Amino acid sequence: MKSHRHHPPRDRVPTHWRSLRDRTNDPEFLGSLETEFSPGASVGEPPGLSKRAFLKLMGASIALAGVGLTGCRRPLAQLVPFTKGAEWTLPGKFLYYATSMPTRWGAMPLIASTSDGRPTKLEGNPLHPVSNGGTDSFAQAAILDLYDPGRAREFRENGKITDAQAFTAFLRNLNQTGGKGLAFLVEKTNSPTRDRLRTELERNFPGLLWAEFEPLGDTEAVQATEAAFGTGTRLVPKFERADVILALDSDFLNPIESGIGYAAGFATRRNPDQGGAPMNRLYVVENHFTLTGGMADHRLRCRVSDMANFVWHLGRIVAERTSDPALATVLGAFPTLGNTKLDEAWIEACAKDLLANPTRSLVLAGPQAPAPIHAVVHAINSALGNLGTTVLGVEDPSPRSATITELAAAVSAGSVRTLFILGGNPAFNAPADLDFPALLKSVPKIVKLGLFDDETSRLAHWQIPAAHFLEAWGDVRAANGTYSAIQPMILPLWGGWSELDLLAGLLGYPAEEGPSLVRTTMEALAPAALLDQVGGPDQLWNNFLRVGFLPGTEFLPKDLECSTASAGKIAGSLLPEKPGLELVFLQSSSVDDGRHANNSWLLETPDFVTKLTWDNALLVSPATAARLGISPTDGFDPVADLVEVSDGIRTITAAAMVAPGHADDSLSIALGFGHTEAPAFVENVGFNAYPLRTAGSPRIAGGVTVQVTGRKYPLALTQEHHAMEGRDLVREGTLAQYHKTPNFAESTGHAASANAALYTHPPLTAAEQWGMTVDLNTCTGCNACVVACQSENNVPVVGKAQVRRNRDMAWIRIDRYFSGTPENPTMLPQAVMCQHCENAPCEPVCPVNATVHSEDGLNVMAYNRCIGTRYCANNCPWKVRRFNYFDYNQRPLDELYIGPLAKKGMADTLQMAKNPNVTVRMRGVMEKCTFCIQRIEEAKIGRLVAAGPTPKSATPISPFKVACQQACPNESLVFGDIADSKSRVARLRQSPRGYTMFDFLNVAPRVTYLVRVRNPNPALAAQPPPIGDAH
Amino acid sequence: MPNIFPKSANLVPLKAAVAMGLMAASAVAGVTYYFTQEYTRAGYMPIQPAPFSHKLHVGDLGMDCRYCHNAVEVSAHSNIPTTESCMACHTQIRPDSPKLAPVRKSWQSGLPIEWVRIHKAPDYVYFNHAVHVARGVSCVSCHGPVDRMEEVWQDKSQSMSWCLDCHRAPESALRPLQEVYQMDWTAGAGQQELGKKLKEAWEVQPSTNCGACHR
Repeated sequence: MKSHRHHPPRDRVPTHWRSLRDRTNDPEFLGSLETEFSPGASVGEPPGLSKRAFLKLMGASIALAGVGLTGCRRPLAQLVPFTKGAEWTLPGKFLYYATSMPTRWGAMPLIASTSDGRPTKLEGNPLHPVSNGGTDSFAQAAILDLYDPGRAREFRENGKITDAQAFTAFLRNLNQTGGKGLAFLVEKTNSPTRDRLRTELERNFPGLLWAEFEPLGDTEAVQATEAAFGTGTRLVPKFERADVILALDSDFLNPIESGIGYAAGFATRRNPDQGGAPMNRLYVVENHFTLTGGMADHRLRCRVSDMANFVWHLGRIVAERTSDPALATVLGAFPTLGNTKLDEAWIEACAKDLLANPTRSLVLAGPQAPAPIHAVVHAINSALGNLGTTVLGVEDPSPRSATITELAAAVSAGSVRTLFILGGNPAFNAPADLDFPALLKSVPKIVKLGLFDDETSRLAHWQIPAAHFLEAWGDVRAANGTYSAIQPMILPLWGGWSELDLLAGLLGYPAEEGPSLVRTTMEALAPAALLDQVGGPDQLWNNFLRVGFLPGTEFLPKDLECSTASAGKIAGSLLPEKPGLELVFLQSSSVDDGRHANNSWLLETPDFVTKLTWDNALLVSPATAARLGISPTDGFDPVADLVEVSDGIRTITAAAMVAPGHADDSLSIALGFGHTEAPAFVENVGFNAYPLRTAGSPRIAGGVTVQVTGRKYPLALTQEHHAMEGRDLVREGTLAQYHKTPNFAESTGHAASANAALYTHPPLTAAEQWGMTVDLNTCTGCNACVVACQSENNVPVVGKAQVRRNRDMAWIRIDRYFSGTPENPTMLPQAVMCQHCENAPCEPVCPVNATVHSEDGLNVMAYNRCIGTRYCANNCPWKVRRFNYFDYNQRPLDELYIGPLAKKGMADTLQMAKNPNVTVRMRGVMEKCTFCIQRIEEAKIGRLVAAGPTPKSATPISPFKVACQQACPNESLVFGDIADSKSRVARLRQSPRGYTMFDFLNVAPRVTYLVRVRNPNPALAAQPPPIGDAH
Repeated sequence: MPNIFPKSANLVPLKAAVAMGLMAASAVAGVTYYFTQEYTRAGYMPIQPAPFSHKLHVGDLGMDCRYCHNAVEVSAHSNIPTTESCMACHTQIRPDSPKLAPVRKSWQSGLPIEWVRIHKAPDYVYFNHAVHVARGVSCVSCHGPVDRMEEVWQDKSQSMSWCLDCHRAPESALRPLQEVYQMDWTAGAGQQELGKKLKEAWEVQPSTNCGACHR
């Protein structure tokens, strides 16, 4: 029988495509799939340095290296023990502490692993009530922020270096003179101790102005919620109870927008195999593709300006059918909306579905959506009976703060004499119409506390280095109100101060390193019953630090009743729509609002949807791009048109990128890029969109014009990188299809060859056999696993120029596939890591046996054997092997091409960030996912140590998680022993939804994918159900 | 026909042979000395900053290894003791000995003693002490007769082939757990028999896969 190991010819347009070139079977793209290495990857000519000159330099350095054979003898090395033993610390053992990362929506509960006193890895704290142990990509990357060599290090007064004593004296003086005209501008950190110190300050300094500013805060949402339900009310959506969900301009499944709880709750209802509660259905209305849009069963492209129109239509239908007078009143207050180009059949079907599921539906607007939309949404939820079932209320006792607009008014009026800016970067990201940099120049004294020497620091009289949250004591309320600990893992690397240190100094408290401020707050907040239960304040404090939170401190529940009058008033405040193009401001997947602008892990992690690294871009729909004359950005050397976007007053320049699925006549751009005046940040990264953002309209700039400049800008776009060639890589279907043929995914693949495998492996004799499953049904593509892997496995950063040459190093990548038309496709992410094939094609081609198979089914890499032929990478069907073209760890990324002339060495602090249990690879070595072999070996060793003088098989391996699995907030990645039929991974591998890629190669991969099953509404004419036919 | 070569030329072949022999010998000596594990590692005995005698403490006084190297049973590393560990005894015993001057200096200044490292696995090798001592491999097997060392030297080459010798035939090293820290204990001629018995009873199956040590 003839075997089928060749790829079937690609004779038709694939149903799932990565880029527009991929979709149209572009000959250049197809050609590139056939080459040995990706175009550009194996080209090595250094710009500005000829090969001849390079060889001359190399020759000289080799000759010098040969003088004496000193390099052959071992260098003298020292062993330096502690003078005094530190409690709990043992060399070579991790110590774990529970802490939290403060965020604008609450806190990310964390467990920090420290090694010899330095934190090296952060993981979610599964003990915490708001956590299931997952994290987002920002929490994973916080380690790099801590060790960033670009952090602010010195106390400066008027630009001159001074010290903490001088600043303490300044604070004491301020304290004694009464501090007239004192004002604070702070970030939202949800710290009860800060609130407590603030109250004391307000008592000591009457007239103190306390303003809070978050560029991506939820001010508008809070305004509408408080109007509808009363001051201090916060809403808690219960996704696990909702059968039908409608998300408006909301990316709630993205943990960087709202934390990990929402996605986890949603994921519990996304399993088509579960009994009891049915699979939920998700409708999404948005202008650009988000992760939530990718998960949607039905997605409506809609300009943000048209959202008011949408809710009005939807509300009208709901009001009619439910005869809810409150909703009718709120809608009545809504300004009359003009023309509508909305898909009315879609709205009708969605409304019917919501109405058919009263008390079990949920309508949700994003934190950035304007207040009037939130007001209508609250009224709709009320009419649908969702209040108290899928939407709960809690009482948030945090004190109110002034807005940045009120602060700006006070500064203009001259009433601010001394301004403390604690965190944040208002000179960069405050609303453009406030002209904050100019305002700051008129303040007599500005104190800036920050991690970086940024745009605002330049305008401040006092620059104070801030302590990172891993360096200081603190506390925070999590999203549900739980009082949580922030513990220092290390003394401040650069002697920085925390916010609390500064406030305490201003209050005249003596300086101290200890936690007494936090402890006082904790004792005041602890429920009396808990104190009795644990036996005393010391035990209470120890328990608090051990688990990282205080149980029983959640916000108190509150009954919700929608106040029609005030909700109507908010609804009536809708701004009239400006005609023309709208520009929507987005949260960046890599820099957030700009605060991570120096974090190279995040900058190099591709955006969730666009797959753009190191930059942001103006996103435009294909039709609007054609109308505006913007050319598509595809290919292996992607260059984008530079365009100018103007609101009539201010103009920004940005690279424009065609984004499938974007709403027409709408533009989107991520905020936080394009720092130009701050030396602390990486230069020339992205485009600053803040100049077009105003205080009155933070979500969109209406009526903008776009001018194509004719200039071009190179982008590092990874959407076509590591493209795999073969059928049925990514598969999906509908719930109906699944019920009819549960194993439809397996049967749609290209049939596996009946012949024996081409490759062989050593006998898999170990009792444990490692494997993994990836659930495409719950994986949103949020990048948490990608950054977790980077942190755990010391994966290097290569820089924009190298990413453009297909040399990105991430061991786990998330391929994003579109399906359908470029105008309105669906989206499906697929995480791809080394598949640890039992018959691995990479192994037989290695001439030096550097990659071999282990008895427990791992495809292992011995770096010290690798000579860099790259044959293995060429033979890998999954394209998951990564080659160190340069010594990325040891050389500056902008001097890679001058070889030995470049400065050698890694910054001390970056060395501290490395995982001590994973080899740091050098130039010329191949690397790839190891299934976190360091964790596997640790677990195996732990078992043997426990077994001692007893048979090994009598002691089980204690459970552990690999880094990507640990970080996943949705538990989409499951790792474990597939030989143990009771293990979760073994059961999931048997799921009818399971399939493996490249069945026809007979390589027996150890990673099984569980097919995506969508749950479309039969009443809506869905697009023809795609099954999976990428390439 | 006149002689083209002078008489002294008769010695040239001999000289050449001797020179070539010398060159070959020096090449062999150079490679052996510079490139092989046996010579680069085994026998390395640097002078330590404080003249600590394992012979005195372990051999003569009979102290247990784990009094100072207390992490060996739980951690990958067998730690070098803190100055505090030294001072626990030496505030009482010979508190004024001149040999202890570096230790007292460290204790007073708070600055650690910088011991010279002797056993060093390459950065890409992850050796774990805990698992070896827990499964019956004695300190002696890798570190030699430390109880007889005035100044510690590296006793074994600790090359990869040396590791694999034992991983392939662990019976040559296994001993009852209570004898792991007994430096002078030996099973003598019965080692192979004892080792095989323990290997079977404990299910000792040392990995010879790359991934066991290289991560």
